[in-house]
Amino acid sequence: MTENSLDKEQQIVNHLVGTFQNLTGKVKRNRRIEVSIEKKQITSVLNYVKDHLGFIHFSHMSCVDWLEDGYFELVYILWSPEQKIQLLVKALVDRENASVENADMIWRQLNTYQREIREMFGVNFIGMKGDKEFILEDWDNMPPMRRDFNTVDYIQEVYFERPGREDAQNVRETISKRTGEEIPEVATKYSRD
Amino acid sequence: MMREKATTLYLGPQHPGITGNMMIKLKVEGDTVVKAQTHVGYLHRGFEKLMERRNWLQSFTIVCRICVPEPDPNELNYSRAVEEIEGREVPERAEWIRTLMMELSRLASYLLWFGGQNGSAGLYTMPQWSVGDRDYILDLFEELTGGRVYHMYIWPGGVRRDLPNGFADRVLQTMDYLEKRLKQYDQLMFENTIFQRRAQGIGWIDPAKAVEWGVVGPPLRAAGFKSDVRIDDPYLIYDQLDFEVPTQQGSDVWARALVRRTEFQQSINMVRQIIDKMPGGPVYNKIPNPMKWTIPAGDAYVKAESARGEFGYYVVSDGSNKPRRVHVKGPAYVHGVTLLENILEGANISDVSFIMNSLGTCPPEIER
Repeated sequence: MTENSLDKEQQIVNHLVGTFQNLTGKVKRNRRIEVSIEKKQITSVLNYVKDHLGFIHFSHMSCVDWLEDGYFELVYILWSPEQKIQLLVKALVDRENASVENADMIWRQLNTYQREIREMFGVNFIGMKGDKEFILEDWDNMPPMRRDFNTVDYIQEVYFERPGREDAQNVRETISKRTGEEIPEVATKYSRD
Repeated sequence: MMREKATTLYLGPQHPGITGNMMIKLKVEGDTVVKAQTHVGYLHRGFEKLMERRNWLQSFTIVCRICVPEPDPNELNYSRAVEEIEGREVPERAEWIRTLMMELSRLASYLLWFGGQNGSAGLYTMPQWSVGDRDYILDLFEELTGGRVYHMYIWPGGVRRDLPNGFADRVLQTMDYLEKRLKQYDQLMFENTIFQRRAQGIGWIDPAKAVEWGVVGPPLRAAGFKSDVRIDDPYLIYDQLDFEVPTQQGSDVWARALVRRTEFQQSINMVRQIIDKMPGGPVYNKIPNPMKWTIPAGDAYVKAESARGEFGYYVVSDGSNKPRRVHVKGPAYVHGVTLLENILEGANISDVSFIMNSLGTCPPEIER
């Protein structure tokens, strides 16, 4: 790939860096751009790239929990059908009382993504309408996609062993005793016990 | 005219007209839907959370289970995302075999759609035919991968094994058979006035809003947009194949059916080209010991054109031996929620399942 082939991508990055303060960006590779912004800029940057730079197709929105560093990373993935370029817009949000502005007036389908992220990570989208519940029902625990949500503890707290299975007996051994069959050597070798 | 009293009707989560476990809460006046609201939560299996606790190869065994009608784009996207972050090369022959898998998967998925679309209109011969014909493709999958529905075949670094002896011939025979059957499908479905009358003019998506609303795949092409990830953002070896992106202008259920019918023929042609041009060579770039395999820190969003439209995977690595985040975006995430809710307004109750099928809604990928 030559330097020139990335001209179009670099021009978009330069344009955005020149337009928004504290915006950093890079060309990841051919057809792939990534910019990092502050959380208060989310709606203005998304509006701008949609209206002025042709990124009219909203592909995806994701949230990544960086527990050790104390923040969530919101990622908006956009596509320009005309220029055939993919743009990743990233913003960091503090994990404590995480909240950002609602952006579903820009793309209505963002509402679904935001509802899921609110439920699964506990990020509050200020001004967002729509049902509180999306996938979970009557959930009053910690949002389950957070890294500090302990799945094993939750299961042990909520679910119980089937009667007769409290001692977590070895199924293969039990069947073997019942039927008198020998356990193959290979099964013993790779047994989890 | 006196306004009729609105009634609330719950369609699903267990309903033959719903493609999976999902519920649509319909507010109806007489037979007309005045408001529709999608409810999910009956299928959440927590795949994305499970993957955060499993190493990169263990996670690979989970991804295909996200979508029953079309599991292969999951395997492909997961593998491509891992390869992109790691910078792993894939042998050329493996890329060709992956493309073959994707097109066979598209054919299998369309055969299931032929059945669903007709079944939801009360035309029950087509589902018997097309689901039966789909089994011939599943036979090919079984021979190649060992699995009929879930294959776990396209993995990071290539594919798990090369084509068996004589497999190419059997693929070509199946393509000849399907092409012959397509003519009978035409008679049963596209030349059938019952189907035509049911499909024409309903489930209309405003072309002016389609891109902005996030419509992808056949519904977007049926609204007049020549949009296809295989052309717009080429991956695998699609740039070496000769194929057209069909479009229609009607933007209704009928237009979407016509687009899919043309694509079915295109996929048959593509499979023949792949078999004809496939180069030799290795099919797999060996990965390190899976238990110790770490991926450098980084992220990637990869997408592929599934039978239902753009299928994306956002994968993040923190440099460890497990994914930090794997986030799946299926076309149904938009089609089955905001789009469906919108276009069902004003529809007749009997058309709800019919419209839903035309969008290729797959609830398992909404909640994963």
